Amino acid sequence: MPTASPNARSSLVWLLVACCFLLAPPALAGEARHVLVLYSNNRLLPANLEFEAGLRETLVNSAESSAEFLDYPRFDGESYIRALTLFLNEKYAQPPPDVLVAAGEESLDFLLRHRAELFPRIPMVHAAVARSFLSSLPPLPADVVGVPIQYDFPGTIALALRWHPQARRLVVVTGTSAQDRAWEAELRGEVARFQDRVTAEFLAGLPTDVVLKRLSELGGDAVVFTPGYFEDGAGHQFVPREAARLIAAVSTAPVYGPFDTFIGTGIVGGSMPNFAAMGRKAGEIANALLDGVAPTALRLPEIMLPIVNVDWRQVRRWDIDHNAIPGDAIVWFKTLTLLEEHPTETAVSTAVFLMQTGLIAGLLLERRRRRRVEQAMQQQRFELAHASRLAVAGELTGVIAHEINQPLGAILSNADAADLLLASGADRRNELRAILADIRRDDLRASEIIHRLRALLAKQSVERQPFDLNSAVGEVEPVLRAEARRRGIALEVRTAATAAILVGDRIQIQQVLLNLVLNALDAVADLPEERRVVAVSTERDADCLILVVRDHGHGIAPEHLPKLFDSFFSTKHRGMGLGLSIARTLVEAHGGRLRAEPNPGGGAVFRVEWPMSNGTSTLGPA
Amino acid sequence: MSASLPPLIHVVDDDESLRTALLRLLGAAGFEARGYATTGNFLLWPPPDRPGCVLLDVRMPGPSGLDLQAALQRQNNPLPVVFLTGYADVAASVRAMKAGAVDFLTKPVEREALFEAIQRALAHDAAQRMARAEAERLRAAFATLTPREREVFNRIVLGQINKQIADALGIAERTVKIQRAQLMTKLGAGSAAELGRLAERLRHLPD
Repeated sequence: MPTASPNARSSLVWLLVACCFLLAPPALAGEARHVLVLYSNNRLLPANLEFEAGLRETLVNSAESSAEFLDYPRFDGESYIRALTLFLNEKYAQPPPDVLVAAGEESLDFLLRHRAELFPRIPMVHAAVARSFLSSLPPLPADVVGVPIQYDFPGTIALALRWHPQARRLVVVTGTSAQDRAWEAELRGEVARFQDRVTAEFLAGLPTDVVLKRLSELGGDAVVFTPGYFEDGAGHQFVPREAARLIAAVSTAPVYGPFDTFIGTGIVGGSMPNFAAMGRKAGEIANALLDGVAPTALRLPEIMLPIVNVDWRQVRRWDIDHNAIPGDAIVWFKTLTLLEEHPTETAVSTAVFLMQTGLIAGLLLERRRRRRVEQAMQQQRFELAHASRLAVAGELTGVIAHEINQPLGAILSNADAADLLLASGADRRNELRAILADIRRDDLRASEIIHRLRALLAKQSVERQPFDLNSAVGEVEPVLRAEARRRGIALEVRTAATAAILVGDRIQIQQVLLNLVLNALDAVADLPEERRVVAVSTERDADCLILVVRDHGHGIAPEHLPKLFDSFFSTKHRGMGLGLSIARTLVEAHGGRLRAEPNPGGGAVFRVEWPMSNGTSTLGPA
Repeated sequence: MSASLPPLIHVVDDDESLRTALLRLLGAAGFEARGYATTGNFLLWPPPDRPGCVLLDVRMPGPSGLDLQAALQRQNNPLPVVFLTGYADVAASVRAMKAGAVDFLTKPVEREALFEAIQRALAHDAAQRMARAEAERLRAAFATLTPREREVFNRIVLGQINKQIADALGIAERTVKIQRAQLMTKLGAGSAAELGRLAERLRHLPD
C-alpha cells in the first residue's frame, strides 16, 4: 500500500496525461497508434508488472500497446532466438508498431541486433537498462533513446549500515546463474568500500537450504544484502524476488535488496530504481515520439535516480530510527491513521463524535444525578419520618414506661407472692399455679408492647405492601389510648365496617395517625373535661379511603391555615413544627391528600383521603 | 374501740393483673387487703373505720390517683396514701408528696420497699388514730366543763393566779379555788403545767 507520496505522484502523472491528451493535435487523435514493448524476462516478473502499469497509465489513450517477452534467462540459444524473431516478424509485420520499447538489457540487446529486419526505422525507447550496460555497448543509434538506470547496490548497503549502526557483519547472498555471477562480481568490488565499517561475508552459489540455515543463525550484529538469484547452488531456478522472500523469511538479521519489487517480501528496503517510474518515463518518451517529436530533440535526464523504498512493518520490526528515513523515501505498508489520511473529515467527525459522546455522557450523568437526588430525597424523607417517630416516642415515653412497667410490676409482685407462699410451708399449689399462669401472661403482654413499639420506631426501609388501614389503626390504638388516658382525654376510635386496603408502608401511615392524634391531644389539653375528646375514624365511600382525626379544641386560626403544613411552623411552645409537614409528605407519598378543615362543632378536622380503584388503592410510596 | 381491729390495705389500680398480684402478695405477707378497679369504686364502697392505708395508682381512667387523694383529704379521711406508678414523672410525685402521700413508688416495686412503705403508712395511721382518740377524749372532757369553769381554765392557761382570776371575774378567791379543783378533776390534770399542755393540745386539735 503506497503512501501519500506515490499517490501524489500518480495524481501528478494523471494530470500530465490529461494535459497531454488535451494538447494532442486533433488530427492524430483518431489514429490508432501502436506501442510494442519487449521485455527481457517473463510476463509475470514483478518488475515487469510494475513497469507495465507505469507505462500504461502514462501512454495516451489513443495508443495501443502490446507486450512480448524474451523469457530470458530461462530460454536462450540460437534456435530460440531464430524462432522468436520469426514469430515477431510474422506477428507485427502489418501494421508495424509506431514505437518500440525495450524493457531490460537483454531486450535492448536483442532489438539492437534484430531491429533492422524486424522493425526498420521504428523509433525505440529503452528502459530499465543499467548505465554500466550501455557503456559496454557501441553508441546507440540516434532514434534509440531512454533514461538509463543504476541498480544502487552500494547505496542500499550504505542505507543498511546507516539504519543499523550496531552492525559489524555484512552478509551478501548471491546465486549461480550468469546474471547472479555478474552481481556477485559487482558486489565483491563494492563491499571493499565498507571494509572499515563491517566484515563482508559472501553466501555465493550455495544451495538454498544451506543459505537459509546460515541466515537463520545470524546474530544482532549482522545485516543481509541480496539481489536475489535466478539459480541456486543446487541448480534450482528462482525469480530473484522469491529468493529474497525465502531469505527474508528465515533471516534473523534485517535483509536489504536493491530492487523495489522485493518490497513486501520481508526485506527492509533499499535504494532502488522504481520500475513503475521507469514505466512512466518510458510512456512519456513514447508519447513524445508518437506525437512526432524527433528522438534527438528530446531532453532526457542522465539517469533514473534510485530512491529509498522501505517497508514500514520492517522498520518497526527492527526498531529503525524513524528520523533516519529520508523525507522523500517511499514508505510502504504504513497504515495511515485516519487523521493522517483525511485530516479535516476526521477532525470534524471526531469533534461531532466527541460532542455526541459528551452530550450522551452529560445526559447519563444528569439522569444518574437525578436518580441520586431522588434516592437522597427518599432517604431524607425516610430519615425525617424516623426522626419524627423518635420524637413522638420521646413524647410517649411516659406512656410507654407505664405500659411496660404495668406487666413488669405484676410479674414481680406475683413472684414475690409465690416466694412468700412457698416460705409459709403450706400446700398452696393451686394458688402457685395461678400465679405462674399470670406471670406468663404478663410477660407476653410486656413483650407484645415492646414488639409493637419496636415495629413503630425501628428504622426500617420503606415497604410497599397492601395492608388493612383498619388493622393498622388498631395496632397503634393501645398506645394512643394510653397516652390519651395519661392526659385525661377521651379517645374515640371507630373503624369502617369493611376492610380498607391500602398499598404502601403501614408504619408510615401509622405515623401519620400518631402525629395527627398527638396534635389533636395537644389541641384539647387545656379544655374543660367535657370538651377533652379526640375522635379517630376510618371511612370508605365509593372512590375514597378516608382517615379522619377530629377534635373539639380551639380550631385553627384562619391566618395559620396556609402555613399549617409547612415545616417548622408551630403554634405550640415546644413544637418542632414537623408533625403535620411529615404527615402530609407521607400521605402524598401514598398517593393521598391531607386536608385540615374546621370542625362544625368547634375544633379541627384533619382528613386524609386516598383515591381507590377496584377496592384497592393502587398508589404507593414513591 | 376500732384501734383493736387489724389493718386493711386498699389497693386501687385499674390494671387487673397488677391488682391481683398485689393482693396476692399482701395476702401472702399476712395483710388483709381489698382491691378496687377505679377511684370511684373505692369512694362508693367507703372503707370501714379501721386502720389501714391506700395503695394508689397514679394514672387511671377517669379520676386519677391524685384526684382520689384530694377527695380523701376533703372528706377528712385520714387513711395514708402510698402511690404506685408506672412512670414516675416529677410533677405528679411532687404534687402527691405535698398532698401528704407517705411514699411514691415506681412499678415494678420491690417487695421490701413496698412492705416498708406500707408499714410506715400503717404506723402513721396508728399514730394519727391515737392522736385523734386522745383529742376526742380531751374534747369530751372539755365539753363537761361549765361556762364558769372554762373561763377559769382559760385564765389559768394564760398564767393568772387565783386572786387575779377572782378579781377579774368579780368572784371570791375561794370560789375560784373550788372551780379550779373541779375542772382539773374533769380534765384529769394534776398540775397547772399539765393544764397548760392540755390547752396547747386542745388548741391544735383537728376539727
